[in-house]
Amino acid sequence: MVESEDYVVKKKKLEWKGIIYVLPAIIVLAFLDFYPIFESVYYSLTDFNSVHFFKYGYVGLANFIYVFTSSDLWTVIGNTLVWSIGSTVVMVPAGFLLALIMNQKKMRGKTIYRTMYLFPWAFPAFITILVWSNMLAYTGGVANEFLNVLGFKSLDWLTSPKYAMISLILVNFWLSFPYYTFVYTSAVQSIPQELYEAAEINGYGPIRTLAHVTLPLLRRQIAFITIFGFIFTWNNFYIPFLLTGGGPGISTEILITYSYLQAFSYSNYSLGAAYAVISIVMLFVFVVVANHYTKMMKILD
Amino acid sequence: MENKLSNKNKNASQNSSESMYKLNNHYKRMRIAKRIVSHIVLIMFALFAVFPIYYVVITSLNSIGSLAQASLGDLIPSSHLTLSNYIGIIYHHPFLLWLKNTLILTGVSTLVGVLLSITSGLALSRFNIPMKHVLLYMMLILTLFPFTMMVIPYYFMFAHLHLLDSYIGLIIPYSAGALIYSSYLIKNYVDSLPKDYEEAAQMDGLSRRSALFRILVPMSKPVIIFALLIAFMGPYTDYALAGQFITSKSLYTMAIGLYYVSQGDIVINYGTYSAFAVLMGIPIFILFFVFQRYLVSGFSLSTYK
Repeated sequence: MVESEDYVVKKKKLEWKGIIYVLPAIIVLAFLDFYPIFESVYYSLTDFNSVHFFKYGYVGLANFIYVFTSSDLWTVIGNTLVWSIGSTVVMVPAGFLLALIMNQKKMRGKTIYRTMYLFPWAFPAFITILVWSNMLAYTGGVANEFLNVLGFKSLDWLTSPKYAMISLILVNFWLSFPYYTFVYTSAVQSIPQELYEAAEINGYGPIRTLAHVTLPLLRRQIAFITIFGFIFTWNNFYIPFLLTGGGPGISTEILITYSYLQAFSYSNYSLGAAYAVISIVMLFVFVVVANHYTKMMKILD
Repeated sequence: MENKLSNKNKNASQNSSESMYKLNNHYKRMRIAKRIVSHIVLIMFALFAVFPIYYVVITSLNSIGSLAQASLGDLIPSSHLTLSNYIGIIYHHPFLLWLKNTLILTGVSTLVGVLLSITSGLALSRFNIPMKHVLLYMMLILTLFPFTMMVIPYYFMFAHLHLLDSYIGLIIPYSAGALIYSSYLIKNYVDSLPKDYEEAAQMDGLSRRSALFRILVPMSKPVIIFALLIAFMGPYTDYALAGQFITSKSLYTMAIGLYYVSQGDIVINYGTYSAFAVLMGIPIFILFFVFQRYLVSGFSLSTYK
C-alpha cells in the first residue's frame, strides 16, 4: 500500500543555488570528518607508533594480519556483541513500554514521572558513570551495603569476569532508558488520536490496538531507533572505559576501548586504527543488511 | 440487587443486560488493576532513575572521609549535613575559573554550530539540492565512526595550524559536531511541517528565501531549542579531546578539572568529589528542566513512510 506511493516520483528541478545553504555542512564533512577518517584508515596501513612517530611508513596489511592472528580479536568482538545486543534488547523495549504506559488515556502524574526520568539524561554521563563506579565498589559501595543488609554476600560487581559485563549493561540501561522513553513518547504522540478512537469503537483491546495500530504505523521508526541505538552502544566508549577499563583482563574490552587502549596506552597508533577500521567495516555491513530488511532509511526521504 | 432483577423476569434481553453489567464491572476492575500496575512500573523506574543522583547529592553534603567509611546510614539526611565540601572546592580549587572557561567554550561552540545548522537543515528539507541524498547518508554514516579515529588526526591538524592549547582549536571540532547533528535533526523536523504556510506567504509576494526563513524558523523553535540542548551537552562534558589539547592550567575546563581533582584521590576525598559532581551537574540540569517540553516536541521522525 504505502510502498506503491513511493514510486510516484515528483520530477523537481535541481536547485543548484541551494548548495550555498549547505556549504558549511559540506566543508565540515570534507575537512573535519572525512579527511581525518581517511587519514586514520591510512594509519592502519603504516607502522605509526611511538618509535616511528616522525618517520612512519607504509607496511601494507601487516597490522591486519597481526590483528587477525591474535586471539584477542575474537574475544573483543564477542564482548562487543554481548555489550551491544545485551544493552539494546533491554533499553529500547523499556523505553517503548514506558512511553506506551505514560501515553494511556487519562494517565495521572505523567509530568512528574517524565521529570523524574529526566534525571539520568540531564546529569552529565561522565559524572554519573563515576558515581555508579562508587555505588558498585566492593567495599563501601551502596549496592553491596544493600545486599549485606538483606543478608546476601557482597558481589564483585566490576572486578569479576562473571558480573562485570552485566554491571556495564545495567549502568548503560540507567543512562539510556530515559532517552528512549522520550523518543518513543514523541513517536507515539505523532499518531493521530482518531485512529485510537476508531480502534476503541471497533472494540479493540490494548493488545490488539498495539498490534494493529501502533506497531504497524511506527515500524520504520522503531527499526531506525533500534538500529541506531545498537550502533550508538557499539561505539559507546565512556561506560566500559570509566567503569572497568576493559577489565578484569580483557573481559569487558570492546572494539572501541581496545582501539583506544592500543593507540593511547601502548602508543601503537596504527594498531589502534586497525581495530577501529575493523569495527567500522562490521557496523557498515550491519547497517546495509539491516536497511535491506527494514527499509528504515525511508524515514529520511 | 442483581438477584432481584433476574428473579423478576427471566427473559433473554434482561439476561444479556445483566451479563453486560457483569462484563462492564469486570472491565472496570481490569482497568483499575491496569492503572495500578502501570503506576507501580512507573514508580519503580522513577526510583531507579533518581536514586544515583540522590546518592551523590547526599554524599556531597556528608563529611565522610573515604568511600570505605560510607554506610547505608549516610543515605538518610541527618543533622550532620554540611556544606564544607562545597566550600572546600570553591576555596581550594579554581572552580569558578573552570566554570567560566567551560561556559564560554561550550556556549560559543553550541551557538556557532546550531546557528549554522539552521540554514542547512531548512535547505536539506525544502530545496531539491543536487546530491542531497549523498549528503544525508554521509551525515548518518558518520555515526558509525568511533571518535578515537578522530583524536589523532585532529591532534596533527591542529598542531599544524598552531591551534593546540587554545579555545579556537576546541571550538572548531565542537561546533562542527553540533553542526552536522543539528542539521540532521532540523531537517527531520521541518519535513514534518506542512508546506501551506510558506506557500501562502509566497502567494502574498514574499520571495522563496524570505518565506522559508520568516515562516519556518519560528515554526522550528522546538527543534532548535532541542538541538541547542543536545549540542551543549557534548562539549560541556568532553574530556577525550579537551584532555589531549589543553595543557595550560588557566584554560582548564570543568571536565579536566574534575579529572584532575579526582585523579587518584576519589577514594580518599570522596565528599569533595561528590560535591564537584553536583556543582558540575547543576547547570545542565537546570537547562534540561527549563526546556523539558521541547525534549518531546523537538524530536521528530516523520511518520507514515
